[in-house]
Amino acid sequence: MTHEQQDSLVSVEETRRVEQFLLREARLLDGECWDAWLHGLSEAIHYWMPGIENRRREDKSGPYRLEHMAFFDDGMRELKRRVARFKQPSAWAENPPTRNVHLISNIEVYAGPAPGEYLAYSCFINVRSRGLDEHHQIAGRREDVLRLEADGLKLLKRKILIPNAMLLCKNINTFL
Amino acid sequence: MDNNKHIPLRTIESTPALGNLDRICDMEEGRLSGKVFWDPAIYEQELEKIFARCWLFVAHESQLPKSGDYLTTSMGEDEVLVVRQKDASIKVFLNACPHRGNKVCFAEAGNARGFICNYHGWSFGADGGRLMGMHESKCYEESQFDKSRHGLREARVASYKGLVFATFASDAPTLEEYLGPMTWYMDVMLDMDEGGSEFLGGCIRSTIECNWKIAAENFVGDILHGGWTHDSAAKAMLGGPVANVGELPESYSVNWNGHGYEFATDVVGNAATLGEKDINKYLHVLRPKVADRLGEFRSRLIGAISSFTVFPNFSFLPGQNTVRIWQPRGPHKIELFTWVIVNKNAPQEIKDKWRRGAMMTFSPTGVFEMDDGENWEYCTKSSRGVVTRYQDLYVGLGMHTRLENSELPGNVFKGQLNECNARAFYQRWKDLLQAPTWADVPDRNGTLR
Repeated sequence: MTHEQQDSLVSVEETRRVEQFLLREARLLDGECWDAWLHGLSEAIHYWMPGIENRRREDKSGPYRLEHMAFFDDGMRELKRRVARFKQPSAWAENPPTRNVHLISNIEVYAGPAPGEYLAYSCFINVRSRGLDEHHQIAGRREDVLRLEADGLKLLKRKILIPNAMLLCKNINTFL
Repeated sequence: MDNNKHIPLRTIESTPALGNLDRICDMEEGRLSGKVFWDPAIYEQELEKIFARCWLFVAHESQLPKSGDYLTTSMGEDEVLVVRQKDASIKVFLNACPHRGNKVCFAEAGNARGFICNYHGWSFGADGGRLMGMHESKCYEESQFDKSRHGLREARVASYKGLVFATFASDAPTLEEYLGPMTWYMDVMLDMDEGGSEFLGGCIRSTIECNWKIAAENFVGDILHGGWTHDSAAKAMLGGPVANVGELPESYSVNWNGHGYEFATDVVGNAATLGEKDINKYLHVLRPKVADRLGEFRSRLIGAISSFTVFPNFSFLPGQNTVRIWQPRGPHKIELFTWVIVNKNAPQEIKDKWRRGAMMTFSPTGVFEMDDGENWEYCTKSSRGVVTRYQDLYVGLGMHTRLENSELPGNVFKGQLNECNARAFYQRWKDLLQAPTWADVPDRNGTLR
């Protein structure tokens, strides 16, 4: 995500619309509004969170690769399956529920790769608590492509990068 | 050069065995105390008497294709470098400078001709680990320093069909003896295809606040939890509950020296949880060839409902093709390293499906593993209570179900819903903690219940 900025700005209204989309999405996730969250995704979604590799600067492999292991490398089918698990009464580990806060910041909105698409950069902090004393925090950067579709603005691509080469908690039982 | 010969300090000073182990671990009766998951003194003994002695998994050969390729991992809490040598062999070195002990390599993987310590510039050849030089080397030369007596400490290394293991114990049995007849079963995953196996790229690491034994024991022989713990994941992935394991027509638990494998003979029971029809199809098409290669019986295990732990902390699931190591990090924490294993000759799209499927099911974001981590953490944490710690935990399921006349290798028990492998695991754990040397470790094969 170190693009040289030749990205072109879009109108204030469009920028506001994309920002509002990202902030609303965070609120939907915090409220476990899974179906509404899925509704904001394009059927063609690629939702990707690569594992981060702790390599030397001169190593051409880089810190992540498309063909390597990932926390998420999902299309709509996979995301729906994850949601289906959250909704099962037998998801024992979700009852009592995990309590989430998704903080979204550093939003930048530009024209996307194709007409009707937007490129949006943002940062997040996700805080999860379970039981009385569990507190897990993950921060990271996101690079999204959003697209205007027939029934509104949809998330088409998301790349999530966290700074950690090892997740310092047992799972990621939310979306980022 | 044998880097291990010169300095007697390098022999680990053996601490006396703890006195109360028979009281807190009684596998004749199938009883265990939660103290084994909590006590820091027990953990220190485990590092010395288990992790510094056993053969531990360090890499798959496919991760290091070229000379100078390296990766870093750990053996117990000892950090190590695994390096492909010019002669194509693989060496394992302590990732610690013999000057002040600093790490000499901070990257998880790469290619290098050598490793230079950041502190005083001691540098070591990737090939052989010899000390090559250092910052202000003239001062050392003037004090008659003998470079040849210093190098990265080397472990014993041996491979089995692509899996590389290492140990720092000079008196340990050979890897072949260590794995014993369990290799017959490991072949189901490592040797089902003539091209052998490989790891896909990357490694996902996470931490779980649980004792390492709980995770290792889960894979050594606990499919019992599958139908209950993983009901939600099975319904999400398969649209229905986990197969009723108790009603499968033929299943077994086998163990040997603490290693264990529980398995059904249903061909694709594990693989099906990935929800990828093409993977099931790939296994079904491959199966007749596996039957030619490994026999009809083992061809029914290639993606079956099953799990495997090589004692102490290396585990895998055939079918889901997840391979993992439970790195101990104190009595109440593990680092979990996971990889995906595939047949080298499998089509690329099948490899990609396995990579995604393994992560979708068994990884920190996996719909199955989420429920495991939660259980394991609270099995550990509840043991902080002193009364809870001395509650008898029941590990007695399947007593008296050993099949005396089975033709299968190892200690064979009837059925997968059986805690015989957990008993064998904890028995081995106790035997190692009590044995002053490898020669003192008793042979329990054929006598376990």
